[in-house]
Amino acid sequence: MKRLLILGLTIVLLICSRGLYARVAGVERGLKPATTGTVQQSQIDIGINKGILGVKIAVPEFQPAATDEKTAALTTLFNQVLWNDLEYSGVLTLVSRSFYPLGKFVNPGDITVDNWTAPAVDAQFISFGSIRVDGGRFSAEARLWDLKNPQNREVKPPSALYRTEDSEDGARLAAHRFADGIIEAIGGGLKGIARTKIAFVSDRSGSKEIYVMDYDGNGVHPLTSYKSITLTPAWSPDGEKIAFTTYRSGKPDIEILSRVDLRPYTFQRAGGTTTTPAWSPDGGKIAFATSRDGSDMEIYVADWNGRNMRRLTVNKAVDISPAWNPKTGNQIAFVSNRDGTPQLYIMDAEGTNVQRIIEDGGSVSNPAWSPDGQRIAFQWQKSRTSYFDIYMYDLATGKYVQLTRDAGDNERPTWSPDGRHLAFESTRRGASHIYSMLANGEGEARQLTQTGKNTAPAWSGYIDN
Amino acid sequence: MTVSGRTKIAVLLVLVSVLLAASCKKKVAVAPTPPPPLPPAAPPPPAPTITLRAQPATIDRGQAATLQWEARNAANVQIEPGLGAVAATGNRAVNPPASVTYTAKATGPGGEATDTARVTVNIPPPPPPPTPPRPPITPVVRMDDLFPQNVLDVFFDYDKADIRSDAMSQLQKNAAFLRQNGNVRFTIEGHCDERGSAEYNLGLGDRRANAAKEFLVQQGIQASRINVISYGEEKPVCREQNEDCYMRNRRAHFTYNP
Repeated sequence: MKRLLILGLTIVLLICSRGLYARVAGVERGLKPATTGTVQQSQIDIGINKGILGVKIAVPEFQPAATDEKTAALTTLFNQVLWNDLEYSGVLTLVSRSFYPLGKFVNPGDITVDNWTAPAVDAQFISFGSIRVDGGRFSAEARLWDLKNPQNREVKPPSALYRTEDSEDGARLAAHRFADGIIEAIGGGLKGIARTKIAFVSDRSGSKEIYVMDYDGNGVHPLTSYKSITLTPAWSPDGEKIAFTTYRSGKPDIEILSRVDLRPYTFQRAGGTTTTPAWSPDGGKIAFATSRDGSDMEIYVADWNGRNMRRLTVNKAVDISPAWNPKTGNQIAFVSNRDGTPQLYIMDAEGTNVQRIIEDGGSVSNPAWSPDGQRIAFQWQKSRTSYFDIYMYDLATGKYVQLTRDAGDNERPTWSPDGRHLAFESTRRGASHIYSMLANGEGEARQLTQTGKNTAPAWSGYIDN
Repeated sequence: MTVSGRTKIAVLLVLVSVLLAASCKKKVAVAPTPPPPLPPAAPPPPAPTITLRAQPATIDRGQAATLQWEARNAANVQIEPGLGAVAATGNRAVNPPASVTYTAKATGPGGEATDTARVTVNIPPPPPPPTPPRPPITPVVRMDDLFPQNVLDVFFDYDKADIRSDAMSQLQKNAAFLRQNGNVRFTIEGHCDERGSAEYNLGLGDRRANAAKEFLVQQGIQASRINVISYGEEKPVCREQNEDCYMRNRRAHFTYNP
């Protein structure tokens, strides 16, 4: 009886979430209601919900192979991380553990398929396995089964033995690898993002420095310790290097560090105020903004070592924050106040065919082009007294949707490489922190930072480790 | 010590003194050579003569006078100061900085002779003392202090980099000070309030600083004296979230570069 009730509630919730998905941006904090005319606000299908009702997976807890404290602790951690990774992917429905049959599920012999496909659970897939910690190694013997395919039960990959070092980092990494394998196998064809990283700016040490964390907020470590002002991190597409702006030699200028060994790479000095680096999708070029040859910022492009600088914009205005179309590499979005206030423009990568894409006033900043090249996320303050919120523009239809609302300033969207998530900074709980959310704005945003003031997130591409 | 002891010492001292005196006398007796015998009588050599003249005897400072001399019966002629050993007759141009008396001395087997000549040098009256340069405005105050008292911030409208009329008059005052202190180099910092994105504000702050620079250059301040930097919203003077605070943060700030 109780189970039926919960099932009923779940169905209602799922239907509600579909309704939310279709909702249209409404009235903004007591300001003018959405205006008419050129405003085109409606739903944009970003493909996130594909499979939400289709692929259901049961994720019973992995079992420790020994009873010692360390094995127990790392097993608990592995289970937490695996669950969060799968749930956060946005492409699977995780069946609540309260519906599972009783027992421990370690070996194939422990799985009675009918119990997992019965209406109460109704899972199509199940993951299970055991954890061993010895000899300095953390080992997860992990399986993914297709419960509806008796001929070919085990899905391989990701079913495998995952071996890392016997630490919390090792347990996390093993869980991330397995989760990424599951997503890639059954999540609709895109790779998982559990091993991606997010660079951001934090003042937690007293000065603004660049930090790097795992995509879920764990494993934070500093990239810079310059005791200056350091801003605007940007990943090379291979996830190896981070370009950023720093004041450490006086004027704001672009520098590049290896994420892996903190080795510096030369970026030829441009002069003037030089900032907002953005890597081309092939990693060979960097677009940036500089006032090197005049009285205002212009968009330039150069080889990634700063050589062969070429000016792309010619305008007596602030031109800043370039963002490449990562799919084609032949368009750049940027911000300009050439029409009086900061607005969003796109141009060809040679600087031609400039066109403004948001015509509804206010203050627009920080475009971020989706990995498939079809959408641009950006921040928009519709009037001087309102907050910034994250919006998304669809290039094919020319429509935009509002993704955040009623929650302080929400700024600097950055895409996960699978295009299903956005990280951003928000003052929704007071101090500015980094959050992530599904790219359709649905559901609760995850707070990824806890200390200091944290801004300017930049999500890496896929990192294999 | 007894009286007889003192007496003995006194006697001893006397004896020693006598002995010392005797040895001394003995040395003196040995040292002098006997005087040489006088040469045979001969006619005495003629006594040298010398005459020294200065022509003209009075000059203005910077001009030259000529010394002219003639010596006879002299083996050696010296003129001081400055000329040293010279030929028996001759002349030499001199250019003394001040009045001086030259002395010529002729030395020969017959004795010596001297003559003098004075050159009087007229020193022109000193030029009138130069009018002292206008003292610096307050010479004891250092530029570190002076600069921020005289070169003040100018403020901007929201999301604008245009020079407002109040900013114009302040920039003119700043320019006046900077013209008077023509060797002072300085930085213009562009700042923004916290509204707007941090990235866009870097660009806006850069525009503001450059707008202030362009105005000063039009006022005759050399562009090469001016460094420009944008801090965007990174260095607010005020951190409250109200218009009064925002207003104070939207500024071009000037700092002295020693």
